[in-house]
Amino acid sequence: MKPEKQVLGLFQDESLTAAAVEALVKTSWEVKDVHSPIRSDKILSALKVKKSKVGYFTLAGGIIGFLSGFGLAMYTGLQWNLIVSGKPVVAWIPYLIVGFEFTVLFAVLGNIAGLITQTRLPEYRSMRTYDPLCSGEHYGVLASCPEGQQEALITFFREKGGEAKLI
Amino acid sequence: MSFAQVDQRVLDTLHPASLRYWAVIALLFLGIMIGAGCWAYQIAYGLGVTGQSVPVMWGTYLVNFVFWVGIAHSGTLISAILHLFRAKWRNPIARAAETMTVFAVCVAGLFPFIHLGRVWMVYYILPYPNERTLWPNFQSPLVFDVVAISTYLIVSSLFWYTGMLPDLAAVRDRATGLRKQVFHILSLGWTGRFEQWRHYTRAYLFFAALATPLVISVHSVVSWDFALGIVPGWHSTIFAPYFVAGAIHSGLAMVLTLMIPMRKIFRYEDFITRDILDNIAKTIVFTGLIVGYAYGIEHFLAWYSHNIVEQESFRWRAAGPYSVQFWIMVICNSMVPLLFFIKKVRRSIPWLFGISILINIGMWYERYVIIISGVAHDFMPNAWGRFSPTMIEYGILMGSFCLFFFLFLLFIKHLPSVSMTEMKEALHKGEVHET
Amino acid sequence: MNRIFPALVIIGLGAFLFQVLGQHPEKAWQAYLVNFILWSAIAQGGLLFSVVLHLTKAKWGRPLQGLSESFAAFFPISFVLFLLLFPGRAYIFPWLGGDLHGKEGWLTIPFLFSRDAAGLLILYGLGFGYLYHGLKLKRSHSGDSEKTKEAYRSRMSVIGVLYIMAYALVLSLLAFDLVMSADPQWISTLFGPYAFVKAFYMGLGGLIIVAAVVHLRHGNASSLNPSHFHDLGKLFFGFCMLWADFFYCQFLVIWYGNLPEETNYIIQRTMTLPWSRLAWASFILSFVIPFLILLNKQVKTKPCFMIGLCSLVLVGIWLEHFLLLGPALCPKSDSLPIGVTDILITLGFLGLMAMAVRFGLGFFPELVPFKQEEVK
Repeated sequence: MKPEKQVLGLFQDESLTAAAVEALVKTSWEVKDVHSPIRSDKILSALKVKKSKVGYFTLAGGIIGFLSGFGLAMYTGLQWNLIVSGKPVVAWIPYLIVGFEFTVLFAVLGNIAGLITQTRLPEYRSMRTYDPLCSGEHYGVLASCPEGQQEALITFFREKGGEAKLI
Repeated sequence: MSFAQVDQRVLDTLHPASLRYWAVIALLFLGIMIGAGCWAYQIAYGLGVTGQSVPVMWGTYLVNFVFWVGIAHSGTLISAILHLFRAKWRNPIARAAETMTVFAVCVAGLFPFIHLGRVWMVYYILPYPNERTLWPNFQSPLVFDVVAISTYLIVSSLFWYTGMLPDLAAVRDRATGLRKQVFHILSLGWTGRFEQWRHYTRAYLFFAALATPLVISVHSVVSWDFALGIVPGWHSTIFAPYFVAGAIHSGLAMVLTLMIPMRKIFRYEDFITRDILDNIAKTIVFTGLIVGYAYGIEHFLAWYSHNIVEQESFRWRAAGPYSVQFWIMVICNSMVPLLFFIKKVRRSIPWLFGISILINIGMWYERYVIIISGVAHDFMPNAWGRFSPTMIEYGILMGSFCLFFFLFLLFIKHLPSVSMTEMKEALHKGEVHET
Repeated sequence: MNRIFPALVIIGLGAFLFQVLGQHPEKAWQAYLVNFILWSAIAQGGLLFSVVLHLTKAKWGRPLQGLSESFAAFFPISFVLFLLLFPGRAYIFPWLGGDLHGKEGWLTIPFLFSRDAAGLLILYGLGFGYLYHGLKLKRSHSGDSEKTKEAYRSRMSVIGVLYIMAYALVLSLLAFDLVMSADPQWISTLFGPYAFVKAFYMGLGGLIIVAAVVHLRHGNASSLNPSHFHDLGKLFFGFCMLWADFFYCQFLVIWYGNLPEETNYIIQRTMTLPWSRLAWASFILSFVIPFLILLNKQVKTKPCFMIGLCSLVLVGIWLEHFLLLGPALCPKSDSLPIGVTDILITLGFLGLMAMAVRFGLGFFPELVPFKQEEVK
């Protein structure tokens, strides 16, 4: 297999970056990554990414929380099994609060689980091809090309309005 | 203003602190130690060292608890609810507000422990199988409290940390030495990759959407500690929205108290502009009106009901031995904020700061008046009593304030106190709108 | 289409007169009171939307503000309808002539009618003041200086703040006087806020229906786009939850305290037949169904569907008004006191509201969100 070279293109403007990404996608070179200091809708749509699946984790967490909140309250009530201050042993009216709080708690935990599993954080490998400028005011586009074409790739980035460096 | 300037300004605040800063930190730590000492004394000698006695079994510890939980709520309002409303003016203050929330909940969470007396038995409240075959009573509002406050603490801390991730990466990229290593670990390898942003934005939206009902529900649960009993002056259906509005009222005042010195010392005047302080002041007018409405309605309906116990309870509140505290409460919470209708007052830094302090004092006294006067003067005249705090309680009160400011001061010097990422997003949206 | 609303009004009036002159006039007056409160609330809450958007300087809903202001056209009708409650006072105030254990100072007909009428006059006057300056602002062209426009805006802000304060106080007062007093022994401090949150919820529902109709009728010519409906739908969802939360706050506190002077009201309405059926119906129609459906994002942007959903919610709240008033006004009924005449009377009120909004939009075309030059 031909060895690959990676070039990081740095831009200071979001539209230039998005335009470069769109043009890059049409070439034979592969877009490995795009770093940005802020969230960018333009770049995400240029990359044609699908909607994130984090929401499913949140929903699952919420449902588990709702059932466990009510479940815990009902189970513990039935264990004691005596009427306290005139209220029924299993009373859904106060249990709604416990169920609600557990729903929110487990939905948040599900949210975190989704975030961790989907972004695969903590993850330090991508820092090797990362430039610290990308958390400041630069957008970074990491592209890979076969051996020998890196000059063309660097020129491509310069034409699109950014700097380029070989990784 | 450019992205680089935002970074530079915020990162400048993280430079090594002056001696004055460490002197203040030391002073606050001394205050915490005094508070801790008072608590240790109470553990040794029992709850009798407080002013609590029949009939007032809930004293300043509950007042402090409700006070600090209330402060926490407006932080979440600013960082979560205003995010859902797409209010860009929240961006510069969201980080500090969310931090205020986390630390306020931490301080608040101490008070159920302090109030317990025999702290070593606190694990009784947890639901686990035990030899005594006991379980917590999930029908009790006190157990709702345990669930709600723990949920709020966990959710706020996770929301706070997740929100900080891109900023922690920015600090890592510009730090050296030990700080770089620490932030390298803290930022979890965040590189701003599109994959990370894709999931992060969605997760943050869900965080905001889930934290929002917590703002309403947690303080409603705290209010139900009182409203679900039958004590006159406590048993009132308006308590839940009334307490939530009061919480936001006191929290926004605390935001002003914290932001005004912070923006002066850190030279954040370009970030935390007068427009933002103006918006906070306008919101305070709104919450102040709600609180004033609640005062009026409670007194009106106490009269309307012609229930002699209810009427006597409210008469005693306004004209009895705690009338000074009552009138401080009414004037500071519902009348003083009306000054914010005047534009000059909203735009003047000294007025903003002064009124915010008065509101916080008033809100502390509101909880004092409600809690103490409720139980001190209920159904049976021969069970009527009084309460006044002891030095131990004052010590712990002071300790709680010192702890809160101690944590907050440590935060603003070691972590980015303005969210660089959100500032950049606000700038970016502004540029897009201008073109 | 133009004839249907006046026809509904005439049918409603006919049904009302038929019932009043018949064997059970109390049913007619009960339906009248329920509808008066319901439709006035929709109008009051509808205008509140524009006021809130103006005060928070929100830009997302500019095209919708005109539509919400058109609800103010119902205000004069509402005031007249209030005055017309007077002939029915024996039927809608069960405490008339009874022993009020001290409340006689507050619950007397002259005092009640005069304070409520004064409150409505103040509220509606402020609403018209807001509308007046708003129209002046909309009608000002680029020739007018920025200073005059700023003056209109600041006057709108001042009147807007007063409207909000009057809204909270007057709607609470009406709720206490017309609904809560029907059970004179019962009090709930949250009843006032419950009423005005419900009114805003209904106002939003009414606004969504009107906006959807405008969008469907004018298509691309209207400046309403799916994002407006999405945001409006989110607000509607939020207030759906707030209304249910306020209901739960009252319910939980009264259930838990278990004090007989409070629980009687709740038990009669939610736990005994026939009223418990109304309670469940209202809860399902106005909370459960909108909550589950509005979780979905796409639904909020479909105007046709939202018309149906909002109508369902309004029917649910209409049932809830019967629930609050019914046991007090018709205590001896074994079956639900909702019959054909009640529905016809409601249709009559619907006709009145539709005619009012129609008139408002027709007389003041600036309120209709057509695509035009941006009037800054």
